[in-house]
Amino acid sequence: MPDGAAESAELAGTILVVEDEVLIRLVIAEYLRECGYRVIEAANADEALLVLSKSELAIDVVFTDVEMPGSMDGFALAQWSRSNRPDIDVILAGSVGRAVQAASELCDAGNNVPKPYDPKGIHDRIRRLLASRRQSKRDLQSKLESASHGGPVR
Amino acid sequence: MSVEEVACRPALEEDEPTVLVVEDEVLIRLMVADALRAQGINVIEASNGEEAMRVLQSALPVQLLLTDVRMPSALDGLALAHAARAERPDLKLIMATSQRADDELAGLADAFFSKPYELNAIVGRVKSLLAQTHHARRRR
Repeated sequence: MPDGAAESAELAGTILVVEDEVLIRLVIAEYLRECGYRVIEAANADEALLVLSKSELAIDVVFTDVEMPGSMDGFALAQWSRSNRPDIDVILAGSVGRAVQAASELCDAGNNVPKPYDPKGIHDRIRRLLASRRQSKRDLQSKLESASHGGPVR
Repeated sequence: MSVEEVACRPALEEDEPTVLVVEDEVLIRLMVADALRAQGINVIEASNGEEAMRVLQSALPVQLLLTDVRMPSALDGLALAHAARAERPDLKLIMATSQRADDELAGLADAFFSKPYELNAIVGRVKSLLAQTHHARRRR
């Protein structure tokens, strides 16, 4: 099991991996499963949209290749997700560094990773992202509790 | 990491049984894959026949192919079954079809299932076919 698997199992989330090259997709997906995440695989953006339309699948993070054939590439998928599912974080992966950098505004700051993929790097990035999301939720919860007790809401 | 390098990496344990699930409808593929993984079976997912052949032409261990017959690309389930048998003669083969199985299918597959999928029955058949391949490997 990869480093940090026990820790990430505690922080388990659901990752949607969108990659059109099956041999790359399965390596990333298996690695993330070994890390304790539930992983849903999509072979293109159209499949990803179908998965994202099912709220019961409770996706936490979309990990998508930038360059994909079909009606929508990774940029467009990230843009769609940003507009329609702002609760979901997006990680863009691509070999076109400048374009990825320019598109990173679509995602949370810094959430782009270069190809070729480094599975451990991806895992670390997702782990930090989910930990940050959970901290934000805890902060919000604490503010709401303060408000319900008449305390100041900052 | 190039595609070739990725293909050479053992993403799945050789000793554990592995099923290649080929289905072009992502939510159905997910449902089948989840049901098999819940039983401790390794699953590789392919969204069409071409992806499936990429997997079968790699060094990845696959003992059983579970494929939909009707798929939109040139390599539908029937063409995939022929190509898969040529690539890996020992591969177990389960085919799912919404139509009646004809003689050609009957001569190819180890088992048929009608769609929509009946998950318990499929999981049971997959396990029994994998047990056969396990025993065959142990005898060698």
